[in-house]
Amino acid sequence: MSMEDYDFLFKIVLIGNAGVGKTCLVRRFTQGLFPPGQGATIGVDFMIKTVEINGEKVKLQIWDTAGQERFRSITQSYYRSANALILTYDITCEESFRCLPEWLREIEQYASNKVITVLVGNKIDLAERREVSQQRAEEFSEAQDMYYLETSAKESDNVEKLFLDLACRLISEARQNTLVNNVSSPLPGEGKSISYLTCCNFN
Amino acid sequence: MADSLPTEFDVVIVGTGLPESILAAACSRSGQRVLHVDSKSYYGGNWASFSFSGLLSWLKDYQQICIDGEESTVKWPDLIHETEEAITLRKKDETIQHMEIFCYVSQDLDDNVEEIGALQKNLSTVASSTLTEPLDSACLVKDKRSVYVTKYKMPAKDTLKSDRETSLEVNDIEETLEKENDCGDKTRVHTDGDKDEKPVEDNMDQPKRNRITYSQILKEGRRFNIDLVSKLLYSQGLLIDLLIKSNVSRYAEFKNVTRILTFWEGKVEQVPCSRADVFNSKELTMVEKRMLMKFFTFCTDFEQHPDEYEAFKQRPFSDYLKTKKLTPSLQHFVLHSIAMTSESSCTTIDGLKATKNFLQCLGWFGNTPFLFPLYGQGEISQCFCRMCAVFGGIYCLRRKVQCLVVDKESGRCNAVIDHLGQRIHAKNFIVEDSYLSEETCSSVQYKQISRAVLITDQSILKTDSDQQISVLIVPPVEPGTFAVRVTELCSSTMTCMKDTYLVHLTCSSSKTAREDLESVVKKLFTPYAEIEINKEEHSKPRLLWALYFNMRDSSGISRSSYNGLPSNVYVCSGPDCGVGNEHAVKQAETLFREIFPSEEFCPSPPNPEDIILDGNDKQPEVPGTKNVLMAEVEP
Repeated sequence: MSMEDYDFLFKIVLIGNAGVGKTCLVRRFTQGLFPPGQGATIGVDFMIKTVEINGEKVKLQIWDTAGQERFRSITQSYYRSANALILTYDITCEESFRCLPEWLREIEQYASNKVITVLVGNKIDLAERREVSQQRAEEFSEAQDMYYLETSAKESDNVEKLFLDLACRLISEARQNTLVNNVSSPLPGEGKSISYLTCCNFN
Repeated sequence: MADSLPTEFDVVIVGTGLPESILAAACSRSGQRVLHVDSKSYYGGNWASFSFSGLLSWLKDYQQICIDGEESTVKWPDLIHETEEAITLRKKDETIQHMEIFCYVSQDLDDNVEEIGALQKNLSTVASSTLTEPLDSACLVKDKRSVYVTKYKMPAKDTLKSDRETSLEVNDIEETLEKENDCGDKTRVHTDGDKDEKPVEDNMDQPKRNRITYSQILKEGRRFNIDLVSKLLYSQGLLIDLLIKSNVSRYAEFKNVTRILTFWEGKVEQVPCSRADVFNSKELTMVEKRMLMKFFTFCTDFEQHPDEYEAFKQRPFSDYLKTKKLTPSLQHFVLHSIAMTSESSCTTIDGLKATKNFLQCLGWFGNTPFLFPLYGQGEISQCFCRMCAVFGGIYCLRRKVQCLVVDKESGRCNAVIDHLGQRIHAKNFIVEDSYLSEETCSSVQYKQISRAVLITDQSILKTDSDQQISVLIVPPVEPGTFAVRVTELCSSTMTCMKDTYLVHLTCSSSKTAREDLESVVKKLFTPYAEIEINKEEHSKPRLLWALYFNMRDSSGISRSSYNGLPSNVYVCSGPDCGVGNEHAVKQAETLFREIFPSEEFCPSPPNPEDIILDGNDKQPEVPGTKNVLMAEVEP
């Protein structure tokens, strides 16, 4: 992957209880598919979608939990270099909403302080079985200073909006940081990714 | 949340240390159904890294007397059939001993300190009490393990406040930098914030040294990622090879160790180890430079010149070095800092091999042969776990395995029973040493590792940059003791808070960790104190906080030493004392080949960008073409 392919690259990480539709959201957005074939996620580390926003190519690398959320065993390293987190719950499942504070604790502990977090209530196509009112979710997201959106991966409602709005916010954030730090080129990361390094053996 | 696990697997792995995690990734990658469990609430076992309060919770957890918790209400004997027998596993980990905590900074809490980062879930109650009463946590003198507290009053609230503001400011910058993923070095961005960076001889700058209190450490505790085991990655070592080959490297980031140091004639000095270092060295004379270069050149292909060392092959490396016209200080450099071997035990052939390995690892990523993983060593095993999960492995922390169920007739293990009484079937079982019961291990002779973790305020060798990652080997003083490896990490490794250093000391144990390591700590550091009388002491970095403990070294134990294990139960060892991770990788690969002789070990997975997904009757996408979605959105 060469740098010329895109103007921005962002890592977006999905979290939330098992069964709230995280994988469906990703698959809907990246492939326009629903429901995704169950076996197909094996071996898929993250999905890529390049979008164009105001003439700029933005590559979104979207990471799923790989099932580790099922028994509350997500690795810390999963959160480390995320630019944005999509915290998902199921509007028809009170339990998935009640677990949100626990997820926020994990975020606070392991993710970067500047990570953008979006709260997503999924499955609005099942409105008749709704257990979590929009107002409750809005109040919660306001209190936690999160952007909030309700989606349906099945009906493709708000799915593109979710990722595109996020991409816009990430771009403006990245621009601000560039201004603040007075650096024109992309900001340096924390460390080296070993696979991409070229060798310069002194011997 | 569903509590019961699926019950049919190919491989059940107990313990999430590095060898187990590599094995999990390898098994899952080759299509095995893997269940990977750990009785702890965190990943890594003795390979884990903790935030500051996480470490305190970990300590407290160890100091609590083993109680058969309510969790284990389901008794396994009722669940064993007549044709079976059970091999019980250990209820509580006993690999850590002789923990001693020393706090040198002020423990006055000026406000309510809150820090998230304590071990979660079953440890949360422990953690919260640790946070509100740090003194209590340090004063635990329950059971036999003693804990000491040194307390120094420091009435400096006003300076404290401004310090905290600056540190917050800097953190903002750090966070900004974290946001972008491109390669680069952030040290230069930090320089304007670095006030405490002064040359060694400049003693007048003492008042500018940052005041740090215990409450600050607690408050910034999330910044710490404290490794239980201090290791580095050789840039041409087995772990780096495996990370790259398996693509697990994409989950982690690394920093180069920037300096190799030596302790020579009571002083810490930088070891010139690359050609450039040798030429630029101010300490070395022209003759020394020439001698050292000649020796390095010889070492890189020493096998080609057997006549040069044949007579010394099995004699001590130190004797051989004496014949190479190297000055005593150069001999010391090569022996301790480059070959990293302790004086008596190392033969010339092993010394030459070690020197060659060191030289070959130079220059790949930087000026030293080592890499350090950002956020600590604990990340590495988690990265392999992620790979396992991506290929369908199931993960469950906080899950205790009560016993292995063995079929009497075949003599093979066919299931485990967890603490909820659930029976989980599998064909093969991999268990980490610390989970095995006393009975199973009764004839095993364990070695011990002595560890110290220090939080300090300055580097042991100050230079223009305060963002150095250094390795120092302190040779043994008395016979019968071992060389001490000191690793000093700066805040940009994401393992400690701004304006502090995290220092790890490691050696093979001859006594308790404090007895083994305290003399080295005293040589290099001075306790943090308000009144500093001794001027000479000013040049030494100050100790803010220290922890000593011994860890069991279960490496190098032969399979036959364990009593009565069925042939399909495999044992992984805990961390070894060495600097690299070669032992863990070798063990994982050996066990994998034993279990699955025809399978490839951790092949490269397909690139996510090239994967063709089997959508519902959808035409497969051609790899390389990307869906480019056009959108005009308000910026």
